[in-house]
Amino acid sequence: MINVNGEQSEWSRGKTVRDVIKEKNYLFPLLIARINGKLIPRDKYDSTVIPDEATVDIIHLMSGG
Amino acid sequence: MADREMITIEIDDKPVSVGKDSTILEAAREIDIYIPALCNSELVEPYAACRLCIVEVDDGRKKILVTSCNYPVRKPIKVYTSSEKVLRNRKIILEMMLSRWPGVQVIKDLAKHAGIQKPRYQHPAVDLNPNACILCGLCMRICEQGIWENIINFTNRGAVRAVRMPYDSDQPHCIGCGACAEICPTGAITMVDDPNHPHDADMVRRAGMRITEEMIRFDEEQCDMRGVGTAHLVEIMDAYDLLPVMNYQYGKHEDTPKISSDVLRKFFTKGKPDGCWLGCTMACAKAIEDFELKTGPYKGEKVLVDGPEYETLGGSSNMGIFDPRFVIEYNFYCDTYGLDTISFSTGLSFVMECYETGILDKEKTGGLEIPFGAKDAALELLHQIGRGEGFGLIAGKGIRYMKKYFVENFGADPDFVTDIGMEAKGMEYSEYVTKESLAQQGGYGIALKGAQHDEAWLIFMDMVNKQIPTFEDKAEALHYFPMWRTWFGLCGLCKLPWNDVEPANNAETDEPAKVPGHVQGYCEFFEGVTGKPQTMDSLIRMSEKVYTFQRVFNLKMGFGKREHDVIPYRSAGPVTVTEYESRQERYDTQLRVDVGIDPSGMSSEEKVAAMRKYREAQYEQLLDAVYKRRGWTNDGVPTVEKLEELGIDFPDVIELVRKHGG
Repeated sequence: MINVNGEQSEWSRGKTVRDVIKEKNYLFPLLIARINGKLIPRDKYDSTVIPDEATVDIIHLMSGG
Repeated sequence: MADREMITIEIDDKPVSVGKDSTILEAAREIDIYIPALCNSELVEPYAACRLCIVEVDDGRKKILVTSCNYPVRKPIKVYTSSEKVLRNRKIILEMMLSRWPGVQVIKDLAKHAGIQKPRYQHPAVDLNPNACILCGLCMRICEQGIWENIINFTNRGAVRAVRMPYDSDQPHCIGCGACAEICPTGAITMVDDPNHPHDADMVRRAGMRITEEMIRFDEEQCDMRGVGTAHLVEIMDAYDLLPVMNYQYGKHEDTPKISSDVLRKFFTKGKPDGCWLGCTMACAKAIEDFELKTGPYKGEKVLVDGPEYETLGGSSNMGIFDPRFVIEYNFYCDTYGLDTISFSTGLSFVMECYETGILDKEKTGGLEIPFGAKDAALELLHQIGRGEGFGLIAGKGIRYMKKYFVENFGADPDFVTDIGMEAKGMEYSEYVTKESLAQQGGYGIALKGAQHDEAWLIFMDMVNKQIPTFEDKAEALHYFPMWRTWFGLCGLCKLPWNDVEPANNAETDEPAKVPGHVQGYCEFFEGVTGKPQTMDSLIRMSEKVYTFQRVFNLKMGFGKREHDVIPYRSAGPVTVTEYESRQERYDTQLRVDVGIDPSGMSSEEKVAAMRKYREAQYEQLLDAVYKRRGWTNDGVPTVEKLEELGIDFPDVIELVRKHGG
């Protein structure tokens, strides 16, 4: 299991940051991803694999009126 | 964005891996190999006008000279930036440039570096001006590609070629963004700052240009504000169950794609900067031309419609209407009648729910059948409001008036209309579902002007990111963000450039939600205009004085206490069994985990009641925490100590707050 934004979530071998974003349907474009506190650059979402038991933060910024 | 295919090339025998279709110039910069280039900028498409960036490419079959700024890397190649052939040809180009513009410093420097003492040519159109235009085309390209305008361009050919505005006259369409002057390598274009007498015009311009650069480089992949404006939020809010549907009962709908930004994009015909804030390059305002109206006094005429923005679209889903042509038409007529699309659509959502629940019927509305989704009736009611007649005379006065009227005249249950009438302090809610964000419930309920999100939009921080879990965390956010956003109002600035585009390094900052890089930009903007240096804290302090004073003003006018910070229950949770059951799994889990009761065996009515008891208590605890953080009494009145601390302890203000226990 991994913890995504404070909630337990299924883990599978090879799961990437992009997979989590898709799974959670996080459509908002202004995201910041951290795995166990470490910042993951946006252009590495596809290639960064999440280890089991990791804490994943997908921080949404704000926008709009 | 998928990871790019990488290709390794050699530049001057050094290997470098770059994404496919990167240019040789970009690859060289990756490994700090210098190639001179006068007409190149990361902000515009390559143009290959100056030819100085020539390099020699060996693709394994032949060696050729190419301009590195626009030669795409598509296979492994060897590149030579300083071969004998390159240096010889570059020197000839520089000699020609120097012969024409001998006073321009950047050309003198490059010529000296190339070993040129004096050019061998005499140019017939020699220009001795040290700030001469060297025809690099950066200015016209940034205007067209970066700003989406066409204010300046090349005129004439050959030796008389020059950059000009059309007909050599001032162009009213120029938004004065300053990008052309900023990118000009010779100072041929300068900004005239005299009219406003800023303390330090360069400081203002630098702060502005940083935003412009971010818009050019990142907007398309971030919020696409220049493409579709705030309409991009429609599908996003739907995805997070935040798009109001049927008077805020639900947060998403299967028909949302019919009014998504992709649909609106096809209608928009005007996307250029519209000058709503002169010099702004975010250009989020969109317009639709030649739209043929189907109803009302202009029926059959083709008109220009300013919008629609997110709130107008969200207002439509709130009425259960998913027809882009309806949205555009009601947008036009609200503008024409001088009505706010938010108040109109939220008000009509209330009317529609009252119709569906039997509070209203055809007789009471003067013949209008107006359940959710009734777009023709909605437009007819809009026209009645505009004309000030029929049921429009009642609906046009807003939800607070309607609630009272429906209770007194139609026998409506006062508790039910209070629960579903989405207004606070008499102002209609804007278009976000707040049930799952306690902080945002406070954002609407405590806002000084009424239920508007422009003091604080905290739903993602609270509901999705779980960044502000405690009451104190939420109270801190409900202190900082309202104060910060008040500052925009104090200065007459728009909030959108603050966080609808993001600096490249924002993720690396301590508090990315605050966008510290942009806050710093606003400090510089203020200092550049007034000469008074600022920090994030000093800007917040400015606002805190005004914000607290506004609360005192509300108090004076009878709106400034805890009893006025109430919210309709639908803002906090499910009012009806139908609403509860539509998200039963979520609510049952919350009852179990957050409230600590076992929902199994409970009826839906009992669950609604239990959830309500819990959520209403949470809201009261939030008010306690926010008032404490702001230096107000538990009744929401600013204390004398706070007024003294802020320097707004005027005798009549002190007398007023004392009267109310402050």
